[in-house]
Amino acid sequence: MQRLRTPADVAALKKRVLLERGAKPFWVTVCTGTGCCAYGAEGLADCFQKEIEERGLGHTVGLRRTGCHGFCERGPLVVIQPKGICYLGAKEKDVPLILDKSVLGNGAVESLLYLDEQTGKRVRRAEDIPFYKYQKRILLENNVLVDAASILDYVAVDGYSALAKALTEMSPEAVLDEVKKADLRGRGGAGFPAGVKWETTRRVPGIPKYVVVNGDEGDPGAYMDRSLLEGNPHSVLEGLILGAYAIGASQGYIYVRQEYPMACKHAQRALEQAREYGLLGKDILGSGFSFDVKIHRGAGAFVSGESTALMNAIEGHVGEPRPKYIHTSEKGLWGKPTCLNNVETWANVPFIINRGADWFRSMGTRSSKGTKIFSLVGRVKNSGLVEVPMGITLRDIVFKIGGGVPKGKKFKAVQTGGPSGGVLPESLLDLPVDFDKLDEAGSMMGSGGMIVMDEDTCMVDTARYYVNFLAHESCGKCVPCREGLRQMLNILDRITAGEGREGDIELLEELSEFMEMASLCALGRTAPNPVRSTIRYFREEYEAHIHEKRCPAGVCAALIAYEIDPEKCTSACGACARACAVDAIQKIDDTYAIVQEKCIKCGSCYTACPDKFQAVLKLPASAVLRPTPIPVPQMETRV
Amino acid sequence: METTNTTTEQPIPLPLDVVVIDDEETFTEGCRQTLEIGGYRSAVARSGHQGLDLVQATHPSVVLVDLKMPGMSGLEVLTHLATAAPLVVPIVVTGHGTVDSAVESMKVGAFDLLTKPFEPEKLLESVRRGISLSVLRKAATEPAAQQEVEAVRAAPQTKNDVVLQGLGMLGEAYSLGLDKREVLDELSYLESEAKYHAQSLGQIKKKERAILDIRNELLEADSIMEKYDFQKSALIQVLLDVQEKFHWIPRHIIHWISARLNVTAAEIHTIVNFYEAFSLEPRGKHCVQVCTGTACHVRGAQEMLLRVSAVLGIEPGQTDCQQQFTLETVHCLGCCALAPVVQIDKDYFHQPSKNRLARIVKSLNQEEGITCRD
Repeated sequence: MQRLRTPADVAALKKRVLLERGAKPFWVTVCTGTGCCAYGAEGLADCFQKEIEERGLGHTVGLRRTGCHGFCERGPLVVIQPKGICYLGAKEKDVPLILDKSVLGNGAVESLLYLDEQTGKRVRRAEDIPFYKYQKRILLENNVLVDAASILDYVAVDGYSALAKALTEMSPEAVLDEVKKADLRGRGGAGFPAGVKWETTRRVPGIPKYVVVNGDEGDPGAYMDRSLLEGNPHSVLEGLILGAYAIGASQGYIYVRQEYPMACKHAQRALEQAREYGLLGKDILGSGFSFDVKIHRGAGAFVSGESTALMNAIEGHVGEPRPKYIHTSEKGLWGKPTCLNNVETWANVPFIINRGADWFRSMGTRSSKGTKIFSLVGRVKNSGLVEVPMGITLRDIVFKIGGGVPKGKKFKAVQTGGPSGGVLPESLLDLPVDFDKLDEAGSMMGSGGMIVMDEDTCMVDTARYYVNFLAHESCGKCVPCREGLRQMLNILDRITAGEGREGDIELLEELSEFMEMASLCALGRTAPNPVRSTIRYFREEYEAHIHEKRCPAGVCAALIAYEIDPEKCTSACGACARACAVDAIQKIDDTYAIVQEKCIKCGSCYTACPDKFQAVLKLPASAVLRPTPIPVPQMETRV
Repeated sequence: METTNTTTEQPIPLPLDVVVIDDEETFTEGCRQTLEIGGYRSAVARSGHQGLDLVQATHPSVVLVDLKMPGMSGLEVLTHLATAAPLVVPIVVTGHGTVDSAVESMKVGAFDLLTKPFEPEKLLESVRRGISLSVLRKAATEPAAQQEVEAVRAAPQTKNDVVLQGLGMLGEAYSLGLDKREVLDELSYLESEAKYHAQSLGQIKKKERAILDIRNELLEADSIMEKYDFQKSALIQVLLDVQEKFHWIPRHIIHWISARLNVTAAEIHTIVNFYEAFSLEPRGKHCVQVCTGTACHVRGAQEMLLRVSAVLGIEPGQTDCQQQFTLETVHCLGCCALAPVVQIDKDYFHQPSKNRLARIVKSLNQEEGITCRD
């Protein structure tokens, strides 16, 4: 290990690493992101390691455990480089075959390749899989090439070259100007221009200045920050160092959720490595610029992702927001100028410095430049992380990349922006995705969660879900948010329980308006969005719940019941009874029946019933016959 | 000194069981005869002084003393006996059985109290028990027993044994069939005292262990705080590490941190209550987290939660009685593509079935050596 003393050392190190790596013509890349690990990726990688060693291929075949590749739905993912063959869902038993065919031979294990349903052909290369084909992967691209544990891997893909460039060729002002020119908007939600924020922090007097990475990814349904911090923490760190250089900050913080243990670990290791190599600490690369970073773990509170709350938390206080009469860029951490940006925003910076603002501006729409990572999840075939240029339509994301809704169900809506966002119905599918267009449609960009919902998703239940989440997460400091959410939850609880009343919808609308006006922070102001947008686009579902006591999607437990159709239950296989967690299914004669009193409506039987029978029915609660009472024997009367 | 011939004329059979001290001849004679019938060897003294001399000379087991005598009174005799012949068991006889005299005589060491007139059976019974007690007393003064007592005294750590021994003796005393209410009360009081002390000794030991545990925990908390240089701003980080270490935030640690980092306990409580990650109650060894993120929600997280809850037999937020599992919901685990997802300790599971869950629970229980319910 050598300490890098000048910017030229970075280029020299890269050259050396590439030369060493060049000796191995093949690389097996196993994704060990959290998603793939749940499918057993670690064991698979160990298996590859063992097989390579046993066959004595150590000098020709390298193994790399990387961060998230994005296509989490089909994990574990294995990519053979440089051929680019992408295997989905590989098992340990497939390891010898994969090595035989695609590393030693020129073929591929067909059964593990992506099957294009439309053409019926197997797709060999990752770039040709529709999920990857329509993306524009810039931030995520290196995730496939980099082992998060190795700073050398990052250096090999031009890592820290932007820092070297900035420290030799550019003044702090020039770095700032480049970011401003690129029109980089904050990826955390509101889309505030990062350059403007940086400039304020730089301009305002006050020493020391701070820079903060906001990795408190509290949005349920979004996990791109996790993947970046886990898969390529150095890219975020490099962006942060560049920002600190431009702003003149001497101390940085990375705020990570403690629910992401792997992200904490990898970020911590990245800091240590950067310090060893002289990329953090005193006199970075001999430039005279000194900067260091600490990690702060969040303790699980959605509101702590709000900038003032996050800073309170770093100071060791309760993570509650404060009114923002003065921006944190002027008075932030300990009253000093502080620049806070999202993980993804920071990760964009090295690319802007390396490739120039014009390159960045070439992607996206008039008001939103560059690319954005979305977590495309929910009721969609190919779920995972997708990086797309701004301005792409929702239709392209959901249908071209995501492959549409599975099991032939009908698309209903897509939810963006997390609990502060809203739902977008089918009619808005051709909406170009950028900050302003989403705002106009009553939703927002948020941190990039994109949850696809199909006809089996109840919109009232969705609204209730978000309100419940927010009511739980509201810090309680201001009345409109605390009480408003509580009342909203009461109303929605009633509606979903089949006790909705006339005028409930109007009351919800009124509450929404009030909360938006009077709440202290963004959490409260945007909290009514899920309710408002669902009412706006799916009012008829609310009405069905209230007037007909019916849940059209068959979700609200109080309004549905399960029943076994004895005519369809021809084989009486008992799959439902075995799946039932509460033994509510009993065999009666040669068929099964559900004891409604015991049933907790978990739907296990519904999913367990083989597709060829589909004997378990989901019905409106009112339609299910109560078990017939035992008839009272009556005396026959004789005349 | 006034003496009478009747006693001195007769040869005194040795060793003596009983010495009867009273000035009334009819009574002493009656007693002597009763005792003879009962098989006890006895001698009679007509006054307190004579009685004391006789006791010194013959070392009887039991002394029968009348409280009301000319010259030296019965109480005085008892007082002298307590110092001069502590092994002798005195039984008090009185013509006017008042509570006062009974209490007084008990105070100076009387073993039993007989009120004149009494049935011969009663006298025999009382003497029998007195002799049993005397045997016990004599046994305790044997050199071996003496050493034992000394050894117990010298080793204060075996106090517990002494108490237990005492309990044993009490048991014997009971077996002697004492039926006097006062004595019984006294004995049962002593017994409860002894039990209490034995119990508190046990509790003290328990407390000592608990204090040691707490001390170790505080030391660990110290080492955690040291990692952050005892910085006040690292409070949340410290608490996170404490939570990870102990699976909850114990009260004493809150106070300890409060003192060490110079923040108020109230502030720590605010933080602990505010954040999801902290728990003020002990959690199970294994944490089962059901993700209720949006992606999981639309793919049936609620239904899965019902299932997990049914398999574990606990509701979200609860810990089972064996302190094995805690069931929690979490807002997003960030594995949205695998939705719906459950995290058990460090492992993630994609929509496990009832049977899979049951298997996982069973294997985790077996690790701990706990046989689980079906």
